[in-house]
Amino acid sequence: MSADTVQAVLDDLERTRPTLYRNVCDETGAVRRHLNVFVNADNVRDLDGLGTALQPGDVITIVPAVSGG
Amino acid sequence: MPDRVMLTIGTKKGVFVAEAPKTRRSFALRGPFGAGVPVYSTLVDSRGAPTVYASSCNPFFGMKVLKSTDMGKSFKETKSAPAFPKDDGRALVNIWSIEPGKAKKELWAGVEPASLFKSYDGGDSWEMVPGISNHEHARKWSPGNGGLCMHTIIRDGNRVHLGISTGGHYLSEDGGETFKASNTGVGAGFQPDPYPEFGQCVHKIARHDAAPGRLYMQNHGGWANWTGPGGPRPDIGVLRSDDYGHSWRSIARGLPSDFGFPIVVYPHDADTIYVMPLEPMTRTCPGGAPAVWRSENGGDSWLKLANGLPKKQSYFTILRDAMTIDDLKTPALYFGTTTGQLWIGREGGEKFECLFDALPPIHNVKVAVV
Repeated sequence: MSADTVQAVLDDLERTRPTLYRNVCDETGAVRRHLNVFVNADNVRDLDGLGTALQPGDVITIVPAVSGG
Repeated sequence: MPDRVMLTIGTKKGVFVAEAPKTRRSFALRGPFGAGVPVYSTLVDSRGAPTVYASSCNPFFGMKVLKSTDMGKSFKETKSAPAFPKDDGRALVNIWSIEPGKAKKELWAGVEPASLFKSYDGGDSWEMVPGISNHEHARKWSPGNGGLCMHTIIRDGNRVHLGISTGGHYLSEDGGETFKASNTGVGAGFQPDPYPEFGQCVHKIARHDAAPGRLYMQNHGGWANWTGPGGPRPDIGVLRSDDYGHSWRSIARGLPSDFGFPIVVYPHDADTIYVMPLEPMTRTCPGGAPAVWRSENGGDSWLKLANGLPKKQSYFTILRDAMTIDDLKTPALYFGTTTGQLWIGREGGEKFECLFDALPPIHNVKVAVV
């Protein structure tokens, strides 16, 4: 996938895989509270959020948080 | 001819289905379906071939609607779930009620944050109902402990009654196009004005087809000893309306507590109702001894029903949708607890028996004869 930022990846997901996108983001476009988005090994929360810039070869991983009970 | 009694049990860990012959001597349990995900509302839609719906409220991946067309033996997600328009600014947190609409495949869903959605195709697509979802009060409602939920939807011809916590009772008399707050006589204990126009913490509303002007409400009571601004508010927890919900009066006298969550009407008599009083501070059974209370005269007096229930050391809670009654000739009452017990009250609550002792915490119990 070609994208400059994490947000651009999500935008592409919304266009091409809307059902999957709805599992990742709510109606406002925010990433769901219990999901974490990583660029390579770093949580975007510790980078520039969804505005985090991407470089060729970066791997994005979306992982549910460990929570519940 | 309907010959099976089907219970749907929405829990913190998915939905269970329990089925029995009309004798109801023993129920066979299956599930959980949507395992691990909280289910806050279920519906057995018996218009035509029975269809079971359940809201699967996934905190990780968002809301889903589950649907079964094989008597609750298997469930599949519908093609979509209610969702706010992208420019609305709100995001769905929970689905608190699913009710049948007017047309055969029409469904209505009450959600959190408090809004109403309709589906005309059995849950595959949904549209927001703007008359209440964008009501001028909608952005002024505030959440109770359970969240800002629309938990009660009652359709009565062109009248629609909605229960919102905390928002109050809203009434439409044009089929759901427009709504007005209709809370005259409905008290609130958590703000200086004891009888505000809206913002009450209504817990549940019920009615009977044979008495459409009559409504019963379990409101957030427990304010008899309030000493702050506005003074004490005794008996505001259990209410009745005789004018289609335009005004309400207390019927709480005689109960050990006016706090509780569910309120249920007996299927063969509009004057017979059930509540489950709880301690207002702890929301558990008074004195650790659970009891259902029944009135057979529309709330003028109350009778304690506890035969078969624990007499001590039981501190569970019964949530707003966790008590129901079937409509067989001799109806049975059912309630589920936050400690995962499902109880049956045979002969209208005369004799209680625990059907299942260790389910996950129970949010919702519905029953249908199919």
